[in-house]
Amino acid sequence: MDDLLAEFVAETREMLEAIEGELVAWEADPSDSARLDSIFRFVHTVKGNCGFFDFPRLEKLSHAAESVLAEVRAGRRQPNSRLVTTVLVVIDRIAEMANAIEAGEELPDDSDDLLISALEGRQEDFDELAALQAADSSSKSADQTVTSRRSIRLPVELLDRVMSGVSDMVLARNDLSRRLRDAGNEPTLDGPFERLSGILADVREAITRMRMQRIELLYNALPRLVRDLSAELGKQVMVDFEGGTVELDREMIEMIRDPITHLIRNAIDHGIETPSERLAQGKREIGMLSIASRQSGNQITMVITDDGAGLDEAKIAAKALASGLVTKSQLDAMSAEEVINLIFEPGLSTADEVSAISGRGVGMDVVRSNIEQIGGRISVTSEPGKGAQFFLELPLTLSIISALTVGIDGQYFAIPNSYVEEIAHGASASVEFSEVGDRDLVTFRGQRIPCLTLNNVLNLSGRRAGPDQRLILLRLGGGDIFALAVDRIHDQEDLVIKPLSPAVMATQLYAGTTLLDDGRPVLMLDIPAIAAGHGLVSDIRTRSASVSRDPAETAVDAGRTLMTFVDLDGRRRAIGMDLVSRIDQVEPAAFDIEGARAQVVVDGKIVELAGKPRGELPDSKVKLLRLSDSEAELAYPVAELGETIDYSGSMAPAESDSTVEGVALIDGMPVPVVDGYQLFAAHGHSAAPEVQLLCKLPAGDEWVNRMLTPLVKAVGYRITEDEGADADVVILTSDTPENLTQEQDNVIKILNDPAAAGKASGIYRYDRSAIVEALNAARKRSAS
Amino acid sequence: MNELLVMLTIDDRRVALPAVEVKSVIELEEIYPVPRAPNFVVGLTAMRSQSLTVIDSRLAIGVADENKVCDRAAVVEVEGHQYALLVDSVEDIAETKSELAPVAGGFGAGWQHVAKGMVETDQGPALMLDIEKLIEGPAAQAA
Repeated sequence: MDDLLAEFVAETREMLEAIEGELVAWEADPSDSARLDSIFRFVHTVKGNCGFFDFPRLEKLSHAAESVLAEVRAGRRQPNSRLVTTVLVVIDRIAEMANAIEAGEELPDDSDDLLISALEGRQEDFDELAALQAADSSSKSADQTVTSRRSIRLPVELLDRVMSGVSDMVLARNDLSRRLRDAGNEPTLDGPFERLSGILADVREAITRMRMQRIELLYNALPRLVRDLSAELGKQVMVDFEGGTVELDREMIEMIRDPITHLIRNAIDHGIETPSERLAQGKREIGMLSIASRQSGNQITMVITDDGAGLDEAKIAAKALASGLVTKSQLDAMSAEEVINLIFEPGLSTADEVSAISGRGVGMDVVRSNIEQIGGRISVTSEPGKGAQFFLELPLTLSIISALTVGIDGQYFAIPNSYVEEIAHGASASVEFSEVGDRDLVTFRGQRIPCLTLNNVLNLSGRRAGPDQRLILLRLGGGDIFALAVDRIHDQEDLVIKPLSPAVMATQLYAGTTLLDDGRPVLMLDIPAIAAGHGLVSDIRTRSASVSRDPAETAVDAGRTLMTFVDLDGRRRAIGMDLVSRIDQVEPAAFDIEGARAQVVVDGKIVELAGKPRGELPDSKVKLLRLSDSEAELAYPVAELGETIDYSGSMAPAESDSTVEGVALIDGMPVPVVDGYQLFAAHGHSAAPEVQLLCKLPAGDEWVNRMLTPLVKAVGYRITEDEGADADVVILTSDTPENLTQEQDNVIKILNDPAAAGKASGIYRYDRSAIVEALNAARKRSAS
Repeated sequence: MNELLVMLTIDDRRVALPAVEVKSVIELEEIYPVPRAPNFVVGLTAMRSQSLTVIDSRLAIGVADENKVCDRAAVVEVEGHQYALLVDSVEDIAETKSELAPVAGGFGAGWQHVAKGMVETDQGPALMLDIEKLIEGPAAQAA
């Protein structure tokens, strides 16, 4: 069964279990509105979920139940015992259907229409139903089969406990590691300690994976939902996702699936206009819906933006008054934003007609109660005619996040990587500082971006942003960009974030704290709060003012971007920035260097090193430049990262050293620039060739099977032993050259005797490089 | 029943904390400041790979204006967060000899807010600290 379907069934079943007690309580006291609300939410959620699977019967049934319960909620119908019984039967039916869906059976063939009309209050249908129920109940308990499951469901608290235990273990390990380092070389301890570290890293990864899932899992179901909904409503909607790699608690994903689905339904149903309306307003006829997720410290921010009509403030206000939610004087005192946020109050709907898609405005209060239940927050901003934007802030009580550590004034701070768009050196030619009033602006890639200095934000020796600093370009959930100037960028690492004490949280600058490997506590900056505190968050996404680029400037700016680093031999070198695809850190154990072969394991795959390292690998984590020529990938271990610079000066040739492209003059010092072309020519194995050639091997030869076949495959050939096959290359083996008489271009002769191989036109069978060379030569011939 | 107390001095006054609440008494090594935090939050420090919020008790009570260099701290936990309370000195362990009692006229500005009451110990009377109130700092007193 499909994963989503399994989750749907599991969720429905869990909800059923949860409302079991409510049902009984409601039956005892049908006027209990709190019970009624939770039962109502259940059928509403089931109906919502049916929207993206194709279960018309289930949908019809839950819609009918929802309508009746809505009437009761609105006080238009009195709950009597008959109605209660019918609702209970409907809920039983939903459970049966869920079981049938899980078992992959046809839905039980009962008369749903009877149920539905009984719900609508027809006495004779009800009587018939009661009779059916009585006949049915004896047989039903028997055929409820328990299907065995391959997975178990665990309480999240248990996982939480294990996870926080493991996090503490990691911190304790770091502490121990520091003490071991201080104590000097202790070979008897180092071995077991390394092992412990390795195991701990594995366990930590497994635990993390246990709880975390990429938010993609949620995204995956949405395009279909959007497609179906927009088709149904005669609208055209394009959906755009961002931040799919943000990892969320598994449970959290389950918890937000519903609210997100509701928000999207609402956006399409009420927000985005029909194509003709859009054209009339001068908009593109295709509506845009975008969903962006970002992680920061203990929070995930999701922003759902549509470019539709926006929320109608007057209408919301009128509805709120009419339903008695607020009084006139309260309303007058409210800001526009407060008014539109009333849509999250129970019982408020602006939809004039009840539609099957977003219903009767219960969606929003369900959305808010679901979000608040998991400790999150939701708010909305809107601009009439331009669109609406929903902000969801979701907590992440305990998480390991990847962060950039930066320094100012000798203190360290961490910035979640998810916000970091780009890093630039203040002295770089592509960065230009300007001051407007008290606000610093930087111009970067043709955009004027507001710039904060961390010194000012934190009140540490205030200053203006300047070329001696590093700039970190940060992008917020809503798409706003600003730059943060810091003195230096220290490192990038995975940090276990712990919550801060309330006194520190009250500063609204920090999202959490963590200990670095050296035991130093570091504060994680709360980027959205800092941005909001400086007025850098716009209500509706507005692009930064674009500065048209002077064409002449572009022509002059023909320099290239170099990245400097300190090599393992202690020398400062540089490499073209365009080659560096990313920067990683790996344990020294990940390296495997033997003879001429030098490889490293990173991200679960083996990557070739760009030649043997020039010096000893350090004992601690090794920084790794990952180079890519767009096909092949190489890794280059370095001792320290330098900076990126735009270099437009000339380069002195270095003819004696083929590994160097030239020597650049950086800050008055000569810096050799590593020749990327040469690196890839020498070490880059490009990915497996697209066309695999066919190589015919002698059949039934044990040595061929064991030794030759893997080698030939590794060079990129397919293997055949079929005599009649039309192969691109034929390999023959023999003890003596005389046995091999075939003389053709595409024949490679392999001899068992090294002496004979020297004389005749054959290759000795353990002369690996000659065999590979011959196979590659054959490939070149067939390619030309 | 007699309860064990940790006797501390803050601004030369004798105060007490229930021994069960004090996880340990440490000598602070390095304190990493938290920019823009209220002044009674001296910073963060690390203890056994946990990070602690360091609170200057004298500033938190409001009986001093600036940080005095002292390095003894009592480690307490409040609502899952660990705090190191900087004090002048940690004296001894004492036993209670009476129930908590108020004192007519109160304990004086600042002290009243953080006091649970007075307690008689075998070393004389002491003010029983209310840790929750202490870590709120002086700003919360007005509220």
